[in-house]
Amino acid sequence: MSTHETLFATLAVTLLGSVAPADPAQPWTADDEPEESEKAPVEIEDYYFAVTGGDVHAAGGEVLRGATLLAKNGKITHIGYDVEIPGVDYFADMPQEDRNFVTETLDATGLRVYPGLVAISSSGLMGASGDFADTADPFHQNLVLALGGGITSTGASRGVVKLKRYVEHDPPRDYDFGGIVLGESTYVSLSWSGRSPSGKASLREKLTAAADYLRVYRQWEADVKKDKELEEPRKTGVDSSILAILKGEVRARFGADDRDDLLGIARLAQEFGFRPVIKGCREGWTVADELGRAGASAIITPRSRRDKNEDLVREGGSSIENAALLHAAGIPIVIEPQSGGVNLSGIVGRDILHLPVEAAFAVRGGLSEAAALDAITIEPARMMGIGHRVGSLAVGKDCDLIVTDGDVLHYQTFVQYAVVDGELVYDKEKELFYAHIRPRAQGEVAPPEKLDAGENPEEQEDEGDGGEDPGEEGEGEDSGDDGGDEEADEEEEGDEAEGDGGA
Amino acid sequence: MISKSLLPFLCLLAVAGPAQAADILAIKVGRAETISHGTIEHAVILVEDGRIVMVGEDLPIERGIEVLDRDPEWTVMPGLVNCYSRVGLDSKGGNDSRPMQMASGELYPASEDFAKVLEAGVTTLGLYPPGNGIPGQSVVVRPSGETAGEMILADGAYLKVLARSSASSKKMIRKGFEKADDYTEKEQKAREKWEKAKEKWEKDKKKKDDKEEEEDGDQKKTFDPYVAPEPDDQATAFQALRDGELRALISISDSASYLHFLDAIDDEEFTWDLRVPVTRELNLFHLAGKIGEAGRRVVMEPTMSLHPATMRQRNLPAELATAGAKLVLIPRSDSVESHEAWLRHTGELVALGLPREVALRAMTLEAAEVLGMGETLGSVDEGKAANLVFFDGDPLEPGTNIEAVMLDGRFVTEEVDR
Amino acid sequence: MVGLAAFTLCFAALGSLADPKPPTAVVCDKLLTMDASDRILSPGMVWMEGGRLSYVGAPRAVPAGFERVELKGWAAPGLVDLHTHIHSGGWGDTNDMCRTVNPELRSAPALRPANRKLEVACAGGVTTLLGIPGSGTNISGFGVLYKAKTSGGFDSSVMAAVGGMKVAQDSNPQGRAGDFGFGNSRASMSWALIDVCERALGARRDGRFDPALEDLARVLTRELPVLIHTAGSDGVVNTARMWKRRYDTRCTISHGSFDGWKAAKAVAEWGVPVNHGPRTVDYYSSRNGRVNGTSAEYVAAGVPLFSLNTDSAVIPQEEFFLQGSMSARYGAPSYQMLRAVTIHPAQVFGIDDRVGSLEEGKDADVVVYSGDPLDPRSRVERVWIDGELQYACERGGQVF
Repeated sequence: MSTHETLFATLAVTLLGSVAPADPAQPWTADDEPEESEKAPVEIEDYYFAVTGGDVHAAGGEVLRGATLLAKNGKITHIGYDVEIPGVDYFADMPQEDRNFVTETLDATGLRVYPGLVAISSSGLMGASGDFADTADPFHQNLVLALGGGITSTGASRGVVKLKRYVEHDPPRDYDFGGIVLGESTYVSLSWSGRSPSGKASLREKLTAAADYLRVYRQWEADVKKDKELEEPRKTGVDSSILAILKGEVRARFGADDRDDLLGIARLAQEFGFRPVIKGCREGWTVADELGRAGASAIITPRSRRDKNEDLVREGGSSIENAALLHAAGIPIVIEPQSGGVNLSGIVGRDILHLPVEAAFAVRGGLSEAAALDAITIEPARMMGIGHRVGSLAVGKDCDLIVTDGDVLHYQTFVQYAVVDGELVYDKEKELFYAHIRPRAQGEVAPPEKLDAGENPEEQEDEGDGGEDPGEEGEGEDSGDDGGDEEADEEEEGDEAEGDGGA
Repeated sequence: MISKSLLPFLCLLAVAGPAQAADILAIKVGRAETISHGTIEHAVILVEDGRIVMVGEDLPIERGIEVLDRDPEWTVMPGLVNCYSRVGLDSKGGNDSRPMQMASGELYPASEDFAKVLEAGVTTLGLYPPGNGIPGQSVVVRPSGETAGEMILADGAYLKVLARSSASSKKMIRKGFEKADDYTEKEQKAREKWEKAKEKWEKDKKKKDDKEEEEDGDQKKTFDPYVAPEPDDQATAFQALRDGELRALISISDSASYLHFLDAIDDEEFTWDLRVPVTRELNLFHLAGKIGEAGRRVVMEPTMSLHPATMRQRNLPAELATAGAKLVLIPRSDSVESHEAWLRHTGELVALGLPREVALRAMTLEAAEVLGMGETLGSVDEGKAANLVFFDGDPLEPGTNIEAVMLDGRFVTEEVDR
Repeated sequence: MVGLAAFTLCFAALGSLADPKPPTAVVCDKLLTMDASDRILSPGMVWMEGGRLSYVGAPRAVPAGFERVELKGWAAPGLVDLHTHIHSGGWGDTNDMCRTVNPELRSAPALRPANRKLEVACAGGVTTLLGIPGSGTNISGFGVLYKAKTSGGFDSSVMAAVGGMKVAQDSNPQGRAGDFGFGNSRASMSWALIDVCERALGARRDGRFDPALEDLARVLTRELPVLIHTAGSDGVVNTARMWKRRYDTRCTISHGSFDGWKAAKAVAEWGVPVNHGPRTVDYYSSRNGRVNGTSAEYVAAGVPLFSLNTDSAVIPQEEFFLQGSMSARYGAPSYQMLRAVTIHPAQVFGIDDRVGSLEEGKDADVVVYSGDPLDPRSRVERVWIDGELQYACERGGQVF
């Protein structure tokens, strides 16, 4: 038996409903066949997906240790203990061919279960920039990498999309391109900058015109109920996107860092009654209260630096504490990295694949870990109007989750599995990208424990109590060339190890 | 050289009747790769009037039939079929949908390349029209003849469709079927209208006939027959696809474009094969299972590719064939050199894991199926065209040479010493 | 809040800090000495007296006259970065593109002590830097070894005005240096280096004093170290061959990026240290389908004294620790990566008698973090350089 099968078993991903013969070593005998052809196969109606044994980080910050999460047809139906899984806890003895359901279970013992991360924006993760239903590449390398980075949904230049990878199933399922689109773009970009007084004046004019119209329109709305003949007021000269902002249908998004611009936006928002989203917001910490009162939300990059304007006496420039101070003022915080693309050029820790690293810097500046996690999950989901679907783990929401080998904000934590719509779409061990890094030992669900920098693995070697020595893995001696190869090669049906291209 | 093993008491030519030396030839070879029913050692192939009339191991040959005895030196296989080619054609195409454009329109029999690929053992070509989008229909030719008429075996063999992960590509495909729908609706309405009119006319006529029996007025004796409205090209072609009168060859570029194509055609049922150029890092292995399970025919070059981002080689043709797809191989390019190296390139894939019988079939019978000519071409079988290639050894071995090529029963290579 | 002005004000307000070097004893939850025996103390204590460490160990009674500071968090030695370009406060003064080889040039005159970038670097725990010229020419000159002090001038900052030589042997200088396009190929770059080295050695041999070649001669006689910009497996081997095998200098390979790690076994065998960064993973060049953690590969191959760099401001100086974190993320042992930003670079440049670990007698360069120094969530609480408090998070506002 190849290592492939062994590995498959240890991955603890068992296709309960779909594996035809009970004993893979014993193929169907000729006697079985007529029986099969006589009886029409039962049509699969329900797809169950269960994650068991993991520490589930549920909506609202609650952590359920060793709990079970069950999803049916892509939606979470249960989170908790004593959850009965069809095909496991009941219907277990039902013959495969009689089942009208498929159950997939993922053993997450020793691991953590988080909602899939949500990127407020990114580029090229599906090999497409918009029009996802017709152009997305569900096999794209960046898509797999992004899932490995924990991201399961992202905003893009036009629309919001799920990072749903194509997975081969038995029995086969169709790939629903329409289903990956979570929504259209939910914001309108506006500009308010001290560098362009005319731009400011023009925006004010548009807002005024739209607000005037809206007043007339609301009156008409009330009046028309009494007099059905009343004509709807004309929209001539009214910017429809500005009107949509004032109606609360879409949000206005500004790119602004300068304190004066931020104050200007806050005043504008209060005057016209809308809740702005401010991207950048690097001097926001100096005017946090004003922004909070204006109902603003902020998209920030905690590490992004901006020098103070030394001509001014007042506070200014970027601050690592920005996220914490804005959050304290009641401003919803969304965190994004410095680059929205996938960057494999070698300088690591700043692209979309390291979203949690950027969030960790907000924690450095005083933001709570819970708020930092929200800033890369539920807050961006809410900001894009998809908070009812994704961004947290709750019954009724989409089963988009990641299973990690540690605290998602820890620098060594890797995503071991990613699940989208109740389908396992990423398994670290089965992709070449990261399989060689701290591989899961065969027969173990959780990878070897990580050591923080304050624990010298060499020193710890003697302390081993006869069990496995975490220090060995930490040293990287085992995870060098050979250890990783075997695992990584599994994906490619046991091909020879790659040629290294001439060292 | 006339065979000495004449066995006059066994008459082979029950069907063909008495031998007519000019048209009948018995060829004895060391081995025949029949494609359809395996390998035959010491095979005898009887060729008459351009067709194979009998094949078998060590068959007795009737006296008087001319025999070409190359047993055991020669190995024979069916003439190679390149079903996806632009040999001898050089026009440029657009990006739009012209499903009724025929590649036969640009056929140029004087091109020297035809004779050269024929010498390389290629006895049938499926020539497709140029362009992206939906550029039109292919033509099946024999690479020999003074005029287009002499060359063409069948026109409109398949509709070429380029399927990409783009809104425009998916729209083009959907639009074609919508046009067919529109036409069906339009035609139905026209027919209903005509039927109503006819009914009325008949009623009127009857009334008139009853009333004015003796009057021979200007009333027409018959009602004008139904004339269906003229369909446009889109409707014609896509309706033909639906009706099974036309098949399609879907050219995809990667796994994603395949899924997008499936998304675009939705539940539409018609006959189609797949074409995918083997690029350096082609990722079609993701869908090997899906394509294989459907038993889909896939047209590819005999080329190894690399697993994306690695130096690890993948034999995608072999992977797809193993998964259950019907493999069709074509030369790596339209150059004469690629045709000459076609067998060698295929041999490389066989050395790297592609089953030999799949490889041979992929260049002959399976390719003929793409052209809808599996009944008449592509294997050494009774009733099929006598398109044969003779080798001095295993066709897939690098050192093997082509000894002779037969097209429709005639040797096209230098005079063969009999 | 982050202004330097505010920081200075706080300084003045605190009487105890007015004295530049008051003897101070710091107690904290955990103390990473990074010394030869890798002592980790929980809790731990250091004494700083006269700019030096007078005690490192378990907490004990503090003599009279000491200020006793008790802190939550972890103490570790200040970080040492050997490949930096922020000595002038930005990207200025890094390259002189006049000649192919410039062994006569010095970075020291370009140093602006206590510049704004250094203030932030200090808040990121970086205390010792080698400020070097760029990689525009084959030999771009000699770097200055200095400390990231937020106050004080040249003399109090600089450890060695001529700290070590900078050579650029691959890619960057190619086709850019020199008046006449010399240095367009590896061949001519190689010759330019050999030519100048042989001239320097010749001058030494003949007893001729040549001011332009004098410091180069000191490199060739192992008196001064040399840092060599090189990348790719072929570049790495080429460099090690010339500077270790041919000239047997105290050379360190800097960068070693892309598929350079594939030469790790060779350079490990020849005993050449690697100062890796700013790239710490490779995907494209290695072509094995993996996101290769290149630090992990160098360490696994047994490269001696593996260290990391930022190539600041390619990576902001204050994020030096993150080079360690990310190397650890991509497979390297985290404790080794802490060595790679402290004691190893100090050893490579022969300044481990002063910096890189917390040991009695060494410079009192102490950083206290709120937790694991490699964790981006841990903030730097305090930084002492030469026993002087240079940064205190809670007093001037969190700079980084």
